[in-house]
Amino acid sequence: MITCVGHNIISSLGFSSSENYAAVKSGSSGLVLYNSCFDSVEPFVASMIDKVVLKEKFTAICNDSNHYSTLEKAAILSVLDANKTAQIELSNARVLFVLSSTKGNVEALENDHQQTKKYLWHSAQRITQFFQNPNTPVIVSNACISGASAQIAALRELETDHYDKAVVIGADMLSKFVIAGFQSFKALSSECCNPFDVDRTGLNLGESAATIIYSKKIPELRTLPNTHFSLLNGVVRNDANHISGPSRTGEGCVRALTYILKNIDTQDIAFINAHGTATSYNDAMETVSLNRTGLNQLPTNSLKGYFGHTLGAAGVLETIISSLALADHTILASAGFSKGDDREHLNIVSTNQYTDKKMFIKMLSGFGGCNATLLVRNGLEE
Amino acid sequence: MEELILKLKKEIIEVLNLEDVKPEEIDANAPLFVDGLGLDSIDALELIVLMEKNYGIKLKDASQGKEIFKSVAVMAEYIQANRTK
Amino acid sequence: MKIRKYCKIDREFVVIDGALYPFPKEEGTHFLTALYRALSVDYPKFHKMDTLSKLGFLASELIFREEDENILMFDNMAIICFNRSSSLEYDTKFQDSIEAQNYYPSPSVFVYTLPNIVTGEIAIRNKLYGETSFYITPHFDAVQMVRTVENAFQDRDTQSVLAAWIEAYEETQEVLMMWVEQGKDGGMPFLAENINTLYNKSF
Repeated sequence: MITCVGHNIISSLGFSSSENYAAVKSGSSGLVLYNSCFDSVEPFVASMIDKVVLKEKFTAICNDSNHYSTLEKAAILSVLDANKTAQIELSNARVLFVLSSTKGNVEALENDHQQTKKYLWHSAQRITQFFQNPNTPVIVSNACISGASAQIAALRELETDHYDKAVVIGADMLSKFVIAGFQSFKALSSECCNPFDVDRTGLNLGESAATIIYSKKIPELRTLPNTHFSLLNGVVRNDANHISGPSRTGEGCVRALTYILKNIDTQDIAFINAHGTATSYNDAMETVSLNRTGLNQLPTNSLKGYFGHTLGAAGVLETIISSLALADHTILASAGFSKGDDREHLNIVSTNQYTDKKMFIKMLSGFGGCNATLLVRNGLEE
Repeated sequence: MEELILKLKKEIIEVLNLEDVKPEEIDANAPLFVDGLGLDSIDALELIVLMEKNYGIKLKDASQGKEIFKSVAVMAEYIQANRTK
Repeated sequence: MKIRKYCKIDREFVVIDGALYPFPKEEGTHFLTALYRALSVDYPKFHKMDTLSKLGFLASELIFREEDENILMFDNMAIICFNRSSSLEYDTKFQDSIEAQNYYPSPSVFVYTLPNIVTGEIAIRNKLYGETSFYITPHFDAVQMVRTVENAFQDRDTQSVLAAWIEAYEETQEVLMMWVEQGKDGGMPFLAENINTLYNKSF
């Protein structure tokens, strides 16, 4: 078990976790219709960070702004804000940086293939060098489950005492590359997405940089705000079925759920924060998995209707929002949901609800057949 | 028509990387998906790109492909009737 | 931890457990296609794969081909891969398909613009339902490989790990894949110095 001592979210809904959470709780969505953006011929709905504000904020802390890509700027600002509460010495050799990203600075390929900044490790080094951290950062690129994989990597590194603290960053930006790719898959919706709705029409993409600073040792109780949470367990399993299509039986997802639920009473689970991308196949796969594991009665939501699918950032961002909701005794409404599929029952939350339970499950699935689950508990061990 | 069918078979082999398949081995009337050539959902999406790139036919969503990609012969007929280049 | 079996493939040689694996090279045929043919496996999807997946697929075929499928040893196997250049080979290829003058984004290229697809390809081929993960390091880093694989055994179901360095970008096409198990007997210790030796050894 590792404990969060600081976190941040930068997204279309704001530049801090609390701003983002307040927006989501009030039902605001960062999704906007773009008619001509990234040279796209078709209009698409997406959630994008305000780049003007991002640049202003970055220039205020660094006078060498042009040296960093948008992704690196957002990641650095995110770590700085997360560390306002964590107050750890980021340059300490006992601190490990873990970066989760699917496409990094892929837009660098638009101009010149020779640039070093196209490498994911280069972005990670930029970030750790900014904070003068001496360690080689761990970089996870595990498709859409990367944000969970990065937290699992941190859990393992801290539990084996290799490090005392881990700074987990999830970051992905939109580009012509990513938009064109998902369009070629006919996966993008031109409307705001409707996860788990019977009439869902596909996914929306989103931008975010989100950070969780984890600590092995549980800090003094009084120094922790009541919103702090612990990562109890996390696991990755494969469907062994298809490289892009989710398994119809949900095999990997079922195995990932079964693993983290061992010795856990599901009565203690407040809610399940699903991946819920609003593509036909993903949501159907998660529905099958929750039914197969007997979890279909538990309140379930997806946050994609607020942020879109933020790719490598999703696992980090959605863990933070869900844990803030839990600390606020709230199960957040699944934006965009109005009517489920009668054939397969799920308990999708359509309005904010009260809860006094202490745990939630985070689910993610991605290309390559990978599935991840995290078990998160609010507050400290009792 | 025969000419278009042969051209289409060659194009399908190329874009779907059906390395070990020869045009004459593809039965123009046999189903493309389900057994047959062992094609999957990504292949279907790639055939949509082929239709647009080589024949100027734009399919709005993937579900339209189901009818059109029944067999090479059906595909060729559709192209004949709808091509813009 | 110990290396039960390993395979190394690069443009020059194919090595399985220290012994050269000779195969006929064909003029005008890519060496990976020639190797695929030499193995006589019937898996047409091979030809659709990116180079990372082809390298991973062939190395895993060479490692598993003489193993008894009936002993169900694979159920608790994780696949953990590492490289320097992520999926840049196919990223570049996809970028070329979206240039303004010739904008036809290819779905079959896009699907390989994620490095971890190779882990999925190996899982599908061998019906492995365990953990699959992909890590990026600035260069071949045996120390981090050992650390990461050791950490992966914290997953209480994981009995063995198929660990690989797989790089496919520009001039480099290489894989060093190791079947790693816990315990000491019956294999070379899974230590950074041994992995470096396997990686650097020329034949």
